[in-house]
Amino acid sequence: MTALLWLLPLALALGGVFTALFVLAARDGQFDDLDDAPLRMLQDDGPQHPGGAGRPAPPSGRDEG
Amino acid sequence: MSAVAPAPRACAWCGTPVEAAGDGLVWCCPGCEGAAALVSGAGLERFFQDRTAWAPRPETAEIAWERLPVRTRPDGSCEAALHVDGLSCLACVALVEGLLGQDLGVLEAHVNHATGRTRLAWDPTKTDLPRLADRVTRLGYGLRPLASPPLVQAALLWRLGFAAFAGANLMLVHAALYLGWFEGMAPGWAKLLQWTALALATPVAWWAASPFHARAWAGLRAGVLHMDLPISLAVGVTWLHGVWATLQGQEGYFDSLGMLVALLLAGRWLEGRARRQRASAAEVLAARLPTVARRQVDGAEERVAPEALRAGDRLDVGLGEVFAADARVVTGSGRIHQALLTGEAEPVAVGPGDRVLAGTTLVAGHVAVAVERAGTATLLRRMEAALAGAGGEAEEASPTERLAPAFTATTLVVATLGGAAWAWASGPAAGLQVAVAVLVVACPCALALGGPLSALAGTAAAARGGLLVRSAGALRRLATVDRVVLDKTGTLTCGRLRVTGGSDRVLRVAAGLERASVHPIARAVRDAARDRGLALPAAEDLVERPGLGIDGRVDGRAWQLRAAGPGRVQVVGLGELVLGDRLRTEAPATVAALRAEGLAVAMLSGDHAEVAERVAAAAGIDEVVGAASPEDKQARIAAAQALGHRVLFVGDGVNDGPALTEAAVGVAMRDGAPSSVLAADAVALDDGLAPVLAGLRAARSAAASSRLALRGALVYNAVAVALALTGRVDPLVAALWMPLSNGWVLWVCGRPLREQGPLTRDSRP
Repeated sequence: MTALLWLLPLALALGGVFTALFVLAARDGQFDDLDDAPLRMLQDDGPQHPGGAGRPAPPSGRDEG
Repeated sequence: MSAVAPAPRACAWCGTPVEAAGDGLVWCCPGCEGAAALVSGAGLERFFQDRTAWAPRPETAEIAWERLPVRTRPDGSCEAALHVDGLSCLACVALVEGLLGQDLGVLEAHVNHATGRTRLAWDPTKTDLPRLADRVTRLGYGLRPLASPPLVQAALLWRLGFAAFAGANLMLVHAALYLGWFEGMAPGWAKLLQWTALALATPVAWWAASPFHARAWAGLRAGVLHMDLPISLAVGVTWLHGVWATLQGQEGYFDSLGMLVALLLAGRWLEGRARRQRASAAEVLAARLPTVARRQVDGAEERVAPEALRAGDRLDVGLGEVFAADARVVTGSGRIHQALLTGEAEPVAVGPGDRVLAGTTLVAGHVAVAVERAGTATLLRRMEAALAGAGGEAEEASPTERLAPAFTATTLVVATLGGAAWAWASGPAAGLQVAVAVLVVACPCALALGGPLSALAGTAAAARGGLLVRSAGALRRLATVDRVVLDKTGTLTCGRLRVTGGSDRVLRVAAGLERASVHPIARAVRDAARDRGLALPAAEDLVERPGLGIDGRVDGRAWQLRAAGPGRVQVVGLGELVLGDRLRTEAPATVAALRAEGLAVAMLSGDHAEVAERVAAAAGIDEVVGAASPEDKQARIAAAQALGHRVLFVGDGVNDGPALTEAAVGVAMRDGAPSSVLAADAVALDDGLAPVLAGLRAARSAAASSRLALRGALVYNAVAVALALTGRVDPLVAALWMPLSNGWVLWVCGRPLREQGPLTRDSRP
């Protein structure tokens, strides 16, 4: 039973640390914008093409709209 | 696949057709060339590969920075809420964020793609806002100050996080205590656990649950029995009882308390999110207005805020400026971009006598206008007011809210009488025990969760089917609809003009004449020519005659292209082309499915009666009214609703706003006029009627599960209160009862999602 004496505060401290991290994240605005995150993920940050790849090109993807 | 027709050539930045010969890049104006150079110079060229739409054309717009609310943060940095317009694709977001981030003074730049809301934080010693704004506006994106800081629910989220943590640990502590009952536990250890529980439960009861106390108190002062009152009372009494029990060396109901508060806060946060999105949309709309208007008084110019304008004021509006009020053009001419209000992507030509609306942009020319309606009377501000008001107080009460006063009063009376009876029979301690037990088990946790959860599951199921429902109230109304009224375009037809008849010879000449025009007919003609594999012939001396057609020379011969009645154009002396809209292939089946759900389907169209009847017949609709004006549509819907019908109206035109708001549920199409999208209760993401059908089914299922959850919660409460009154509820019984009832509510409310089965529709970006 004496294990309780240090297990109880330890468990609470651990939980407290994660709660504090959560509060910090919420404060930082991590949960303010839940719509964009799944879209941003799709943008790959692959290596940039050398040479003329940076030339402005017409947009791709959409149909004639 | 290229987004641009082969001729004419397009500006490499904004896609505006440019008349230029040769290869290589062309620009329509120095602004566009500068914007492209700025992007290349900043090393952000990948924008050109990633973008899926043209960038906006840089225009000069004036921003009154002194009116912008800048917040200074404790560490000395500054923060502002802005709105970026012209974001057409995700690459734009990356570009704007990247460009802002290159300024060494910028600490944070976050742009929300869906709303355009931007949070910008910077170090005032290294940079300033006008400099940052300049970087963005030089690319053509509009930057506007937002009036208020973002509506965050951060505090609610912290409370929820803490309550979840404390609630979980309280359960563990109490599990040990309950085991101690059966297995035996030394009083010292029990005391340690009891005091730990009290320490954890105290901030939950007074800090995390403070929104409930505040609302209950506000309700009491206003003389209303709010649903938060029994919650607040249960929390307060449970805590008091717990303190007393701990002092006596017994267990309180702390585990039930922690779980209750955490679940209720979660429900509240979910409700708040939907409301916040709506408020944000209203604010963005208001941000479309310029902050300064140039008023002409006796030949002199003065700069005033749009709110200071009065009807009759003369304004001077130059290239790239936004109209500050609804007005009529007096002199000059130009083209205006009014996509927000009408959904028309192409700029519209205006001249003396034409009306222009606040929030539209002059993209060519220079005009002087006389103000007709200013300030809150403008269409834009009225739309904003309608949007901000909807989903708020005006929303009809949910079944739970209607039940709240009776429920609250009953709980209080039963707890008081039961406690008094026990106190009289077996002493004050027993009386207190029973009163507390009644309040704890009667706490309307399942009731309070049932509403938001079923709304959440219903909206999620509807969204999977392609219908975005704006609020919980709209979802409830959707479930009660018994009539569907359709606007023809976009819902039953493909919504795009196509050439449906005419010979290749006529088409070839017509396409040559229309090669440079931006008119929708011109686009249909060019598309048709391409589909039939016809090469665009060279054309000379093209003269566009607004409202008439086009003159020009093709193959060395002069031709005239003219309108020839509804849905027809002719090349004079050669032949006619027939233009029309095609019926969607699945439309008849969807109409039949709506009928099978017990709904009457009717069509109310602004098109020619003949056209409307033809489409209706093809889709299997027999009740049809053609040539209906916007007022007609609204009046007919109002009349049907006066007879007790609940009407769902599907519309996408700019003039459908009144009908959309009149109907019990207004559904707009995603690609419809933004004003109709804003006025609607729900937005269909896919074309056609399938989203409406899916949304209806989801709403009905959500309403049924919400009713079931409500009934179950009431039965649960009645049984639990009866047990409490007989003195059979102790903390362990309460701790076992509550997850049962909440779990049941969760399971019932998830029904709309389960009924729909696995994901049936790709989630689209």
